[in-house]
Amino acid sequence: MTFPLTLLLLCTAPSEAGADKVAPATSTEEYGPFFEDAPASDARFQSRGRKDKYPVLSVGDGWFCFVEDSHCKASLLASGEVAAGMRIPASNKGPDLPYAHWGFRGGFAIRPLMLKRKPWHPWGVGIVSSWSRGTGAVTVESTTDAQEQASTDRTDTFRVALLNQLWLSKKPHAIHLDLALGTARSQVLTSGVALFGTHAEAAVGWGGWGSVYAGADFLDRDTRVMLGFRAHGIAAGPTIAAILLGLALGGAL
Amino acid sequence: MSSMLFALSLFVVGPEPAASAETTAAPQETPATPETETASEVTSEVTSGATPTETEPDPVAAPEPVSEPTEAQVDSATPVDPDAPQLRVVDEKSGPPYYDEADVAALRNRYELPDEQPLARKPVRWRCLISDPTCGMTIELNATAAYAFRAQQGDVSRGNVRKWSSGRAQYDLWLNLPTLTEQVRNVRYTKMTLGPKGGVVFSDTGQFWGNLGIAMRYWLGRGRFAPSIEMSSALAFKLGGRPTRNLAGAEPKFETQRGPVGFTADVGFGIGGFGALVVGGQYDSPLAREDVPEQFRTSASGMFFIGFRGNILWGAPAGAAVLTHGLTQRLVEQPNN
Repeated sequence: MTFPLTLLLLCTAPSEAGADKVAPATSTEEYGPFFEDAPASDARFQSRGRKDKYPVLSVGDGWFCFVEDSHCKASLLASGEVAAGMRIPASNKGPDLPYAHWGFRGGFAIRPLMLKRKPWHPWGVGIVSSWSRGTGAVTVESTTDAQEQASTDRTDTFRVALLNQLWLSKKPHAIHLDLALGTARSQVLTSGVALFGTHAEAAVGWGGWGSVYAGADFLDRDTRVMLGFRAHGIAAGPTIAAILLGLALGGAL
Repeated sequence: MSSMLFALSLFVVGPEPAASAETTAAPQETPATPETETASEVTSEVTSGATPTETEPDPVAAPEPVSEPTEAQVDSATPVDPDAPQLRVVDEKSGPPYYDEADVAALRNRYELPDEQPLARKPVRWRCLISDPTCGMTIELNATAAYAFRAQQGDVSRGNVRKWSSGRAQYDLWLNLPTLTEQVRNVRYTKMTLGPKGGVVFSDTGQFWGNLGIAMRYWLGRGRFAPSIEMSSALAFKLGGRPTRNLAGAEPKFETQRGPVGFTADVGFGIGGFGALVVGGQYDSPLAREDVPEQFRTSASGMFFIGFRGNILWGAPAGAAVLTHGLTQRLVEQPNN
């Protein structure tokens, strides 16, 4: 009587562990340490920014997000930026001068392989456009007889670019690398003529909230390189409102 | 001789049938009467211990080594000495854990361990938009209102330095990443955060700068209003200005101002994530290269400031910053030389 019972025990216990091992991997499952979810830990922070893996401002559990994040299939991009760098004209046009700008950027990004095939994929693609107002240009052209100097008060630039993203983690507010390539249209030096040029940018972002970027605009004999910080519109909006209020209070508007 | 042998065999065999009768009786009795009232308290505990075990080998194996000493106690028929330590078998539970809070307390008492840690705090409001030691990564928008003592290099030939009192309003976005955490049981607390920050700075005559840098906060406690030490440093770059109608005498016009990158740094002592008293400085590099025409050169300038920086969510820091910005813009005039 005891022997059949012990035999039953011995048969049931190992087969439960074996059931996990022999489960076949489906085509949608990722296998590999890079894309695996982090193992669950008992220790956790008491306060969490959100309850699940989808950001707070999202529609349809990550189908569309107003603040982009690691598990968003489509996101709206809206941010304000400040940047500083150098304006490097062609050598005979004048000295290299500091350049700084502030501006706004908006766009749309999707994760194509997450729409149907996979629950998570690091690649994202999108389109962005931005407008910035920066410091003016100075040209100093010397001839044997005279030296001509000219300057402008400001430099407005409009850009459109194709965006590529690489998300490095599945955690909330994950770090992602962005690469944007596109065109820029701006007045070239002090010519007063707006021409098209190339815009390139590489950025490191934390979710959709902020990013640090290095970018450049390559125009005809007018190159601008810059390092900047970008903040999401939800954070930049109240800031801009407070700034305008301060300006109005100070009599500058 | 044969009768002696027979008696001897009875003596040898005797206890075993009694023991086996006892063991066979025990499982048979327990289904019918789970609480058997026997003379010995030990045997009742043995039978109750045997009841929950479902695997058949255990009732056969377990009571055997226990039943013999219990039988010895029963058979000795001596009265129980109340002063002697009462040996008893603890009630076996059906499954883990095999101890309860009373046992843990007894263990702590025996080894003089401190009491259990206090219960973890409740989660904070505002979804960690106001920084807290119980939060992991936080994103916060800070506003600073400060008194600034500004100085700018004047006429180099005369060695002048222009000095004046001014104000400073600053708006920053901080991304705080938990770089140092501590763990109490299964609750994690942030000890130090470090992360990028960016923002804008406003001062008199409409001058404003952008800044990009890093910010650190070190928590000195774990409570909601735990003190903290904050440090931040950034590259500061002039963006432009919009002078006031009153002071400029003309219709205010937005102008961009060019200046090489300088730096700003500050140290603060904060309460919770709500606000901090801040002391810091800023230095703007001069643009005075020979190849730059003189009219486009800028001279070195800087400021020291002391003020209050806080999270805009609870209102007062934003209000103070707006007020400081407005008053500075309207009232402060830079000296000419």
